Amino acid sequence: MYVELKNINKHFGNFKASDNVSFGIEKGKLIGLLGPSGSGKTTILRMIAGLETPDNGDIIIDGKVINNVPASKRGIGFVFQSYALFRYMTVFENIAFGLRVLKKSDSEIKDRVAELVKLIGLDGLENRYPSQLSGGQRQRVAFARALAPNPQLLLLDEPFAAIDAKVRQELRHWLKEMIAKLGVTSIFVTHDQDEAIEVADEIIIMNKGRIDQIGKPLDVYSTPKTAFVASFFGQPSIFKDYSKFRRFDAVEGAEQTIVRPEFVKVTKKTEVQKFKNSAEEGVVTDVAFRGSGIELSVLVNGVTLTARRGFDEPSVSVGEKVDVFIYRIFVTAGDNAYLLENKSLREPVVVI
Amino acid sequence: MYKETKSSKAVKWFLIGVSVLFVVLMLLLPLITVITEAFKQGFAVYEKAVTDNYTVKAFWLTLEATALAVVINTVFGLSAAWSLTKFHFRGKKILTTLIDLPVTVSPIIAGLIFLLTFGRQSPIFPLLQDWDVKIVFAVPGIVLATIFVTFPFISRELIPVLEARGNDEEEAAALMGAKGFTIFRKITFPHIKWAFLYGVVLCAARAMGEFGAVSVISGHLRGKTNTLPLHVEILFNEFQYVPAFAVASILVLLAIFILIARSLIEYNGKKKNKVEP
Repeated sequence: MYVELKNINKHFGNFKASDNVSFGIEKGKLIGLLGPSGSGKTTILRMIAGLETPDNGDIIIDGKVINNVPASKRGIGFVFQSYALFRYMTVFENIAFGLRVLKKSDSEIKDRVAELVKLIGLDGLENRYPSQLSGGQRQRVAFARALAPNPQLLLLDEPFAAIDAKVRQELRHWLKEMIAKLGVTSIFVTHDQDEAIEVADEIIIMNKGRIDQIGKPLDVYSTPKTAFVASFFGQPSIFKDYSKFRRFDAVEGAEQTIVRPEFVKVTKKTEVQKFKNSAEEGVVTDVAFRGSGIELSVLVNGVTLTARRGFDEPSVSVGEKVDVFIYRIFVTAGDNAYLLENKSLREPVVVI
Repeated sequence: MYKETKSSKAVKWFLIGVSVLFVVLMLLLPLITVITEAFKQGFAVYEKAVTDNYTVKAFWLTLEATALAVVINTVFGLSAAWSLTKFHFRGKKILTTLIDLPVTVSPIIAGLIFLLTFGRQSPIFPLLQDWDVKIVFAVPGIVLATIFVTFPFISRELIPVLEARGNDEEEAAALMGAKGFTIFRKITFPHIKWAFLYGVVLCAARAMGEFGAVSVISGHLRGKTNTLPLHVEILFNEFQYVPAFAVASILVLLAIFILIARSLIEYNGKKKNKVEP
């Protein structure tokens, strides 16, 4: 493990920002620290950087406990949410700052800055001030500035939060590519699940100062271990009691039922459906165009579920009676989440 | 653009008229009076009054007190503004309020405070005498009084500027290993430069013209503890009108000089801000 946190606790007054947080990160990985606002993810990042001090617990980088190493000596690159570019310095001077502090020679600085400016694709803009750059360009400069002194660890605090949607998409790809190319171990904080899934090699999910789950994006998404993780991803419909839906096993102490849109198959009465016998009847209450498909709200057994249909399928209208088949559901009991499959999927089907 | 109607035009010219009338009556007229009175008996008399030994001494004392007040209040203003905006501590609110005290109390009270603290009735007076330190009716008292009344000018200019902006840039610089002084010089100071210079100008202007507090504590010893404003008063009380106005004209010139400096600083600050907000 390159970066390791062991039993980290941190309070701000009565507020518990970190509750016994432990995790390890392998060298060269790009990690997404994901959680809702107030879940303590930024605090973790700031403690690793040395901007905050944990109440107790150890932070280990490259085999050494660095709790008492001042922030400036940790050799960490940090990209702030607001970028924190030096507004009275040009792009060149911003990127050169860390190198000047290290007392590098002028020619060395010139070469390194030129290399980084090229890397971030801002050739020719070296003499601009931050205020003369677009949001995306500023983000790139902040990235280059953090990378200039060759840090072994790069920390990014909500790196895409301040950028508009279109550019954000581009920058995500760009950042993932850049980090893969440079091979620098990186941790980025985000509250956006799509962003974490898309960019990270591994996701650490935080909730209320604790770590709920760590894993590859696909694993975390498809097999959530806790109630919180199960409800955090996707676009879940959440309701209490699933006993009205036949063909699911009972779980002791079940509290919540979580159904994601991709778990639901909606078919018109006239369409062929493999599991027609075990489908429930529902009424369409809303049809919305979502760019990539049609999103439906369907009322089944007194519960409103969200489902999707493609453009190539026959259209459904509000008020229409439809067949609703649920492949699987998540059921939570206490802090745990269970995945239940529809029993019909396991039974031999006879199509007449 | 806003289109002017007949009535809005009338309002516009009325308001401009009021302002101009006020400036002429309250500022321009007295200014012209000072200059014309000063030169009433010809340039030779003016020159004699201005180059008079006591006047020259008062001039240098005024500059000395001003320079010291500016230097000391710069140090104080920077530390106060820095500590009040960058740290959280107990009694921060009280400190913020106390800094404003010198502009809210009458300067006479300020003078009296120093008279009572360092004068004959004071418990520390014997101590001062043992060390052979003279404060009341001496130059140190004048400097102290001047510092007191100009106390908040620099910090008051800096606090809003520092408050308006977080610590991100400083944190970023610190993470890259920059030391405190480097951070101040390269990150913080460029940001507060214009506000700071403006504060210095205000502080200097106020220090030069200070009358009340200094008057109480100086003892009006001609050639020793007389500043320019006090000198003007003494001359005036002795019915030496022309010399009084001549000396006053020096203060007017200093004030005009400071106004020009202020405008230049503001102009430069604005020009610069267009490129780097």
